[in-house]
Amino acid sequence: MRGTDPQIQDSADKWAVQLRKGCLELAILAALWGGKLYGLEILRTLETDSDLIISEGTVYPLLSRLKNEGLLASEWVEAEAGHPRKYYRLTPAGRRQAVAMARIWARFSASLNGLLGRVLQESE
Amino acid sequence: MPHSQDPERRIESYLIQIRSGLKGIPEDQIADIVRELRTHIVERAESSGTLSPAAVEDALLALGRPDQVTSLYVIDNVMARAQGSRMPWTVLRGIFFWATMNLTGFLVFLMCLIGYAIGTSFFLAALLKPFVPSIGLWIGDRDRFFLVLGQIYPNRGGHELLGWTLVPIGCALGGGTILLTTHFALWCIRKFREQRRLRGFGKGTASAGSRQSV
Repeated sequence: MRGTDPQIQDSADKWAVQLRKGCLELAILAALWGGKLYGLEILRTLETDSDLIISEGTVYPLLSRLKNEGLLASEWVEAEAGHPRKYYRLTPAGRRQAVAMARIWARFSASLNGLLGRVLQESE
Repeated sequence: MPHSQDPERRIESYLIQIRSGLKGIPEDQIADIVRELRTHIVERAESSGTLSPAAVEDALLALGRPDQVTSLYVIDNVMARAQGSRMPWTVLRGIFFWATMNLTGFLVFLMCLIGYAIGTSFFLAALLKPFVPSIGLWIGDRDRFFLVLGQIYPNRGGHELLGWTLVPIGCALGGGTILLTTHFALWCIRKFREQRRLRGFGKGTASAGSRQSV
């Protein structure tokens, strides 16, 4: 945002962080949609595919919670070379949750985009 | 901060702190958490080449302070167990962890503590009445007001309100208060967990648009 007041920019940045925090669970479920991944892979997938950077110390407790809620399952896989890795995958409940959240997100963002179009057009 | 130059020892030292911070979590889960974090640290450090002291420090820095990492595991685990068990002691323990985090948690803990204390007092009074008949709900006479559940000194004045009906009334009031307090605590825990979920698991969780996580 060129020429934006630093205070407004700061406030917008904080809002953006809060918004993305709220999307973390959906982002992790979506990252696992394609198959099983281990912690570091999940972090890298989120970083490259969604530009969502999670504090590394947060992702494991979050995965643990999702597992406790029955949305994820995990298994240790011995690597041929290297270290054993704990892989996570979506459970059937996790897949249903991902679909439900993705639908809500898609509907909400589509309707909000209609409203935001005018704001973005006039601000350019 | 000076650290051991031996990467393996540095990792072990970090993991010992993690292990000691995971209080209240079952031992098999602790072993699993520590194993997963060790794999993460080693793999992340090795991704830059060899397991060098600098690479390990970078990996540990990215993971965060041990107490910050363990607090996320502990609070969620304790709250989940409190919500699942419905036992007053487990529920109160979960609320206690919340009380150490913020003022809301402290107030909820205080209210639950008072609720359980009142409930237990009525229940105990009802149970002890057959063995100690002088136990009752005593009220002061006109010139000296007091309300006491239990025994009073014989020369204190006042009269007992419930008599032997203290047994059924105490059981009902005690059980009811404990039940209500537990329901209130569980409702608070559910709200707390929903809020944490909405806030993305707590402070310093995620960022985007910049290459630095907060």
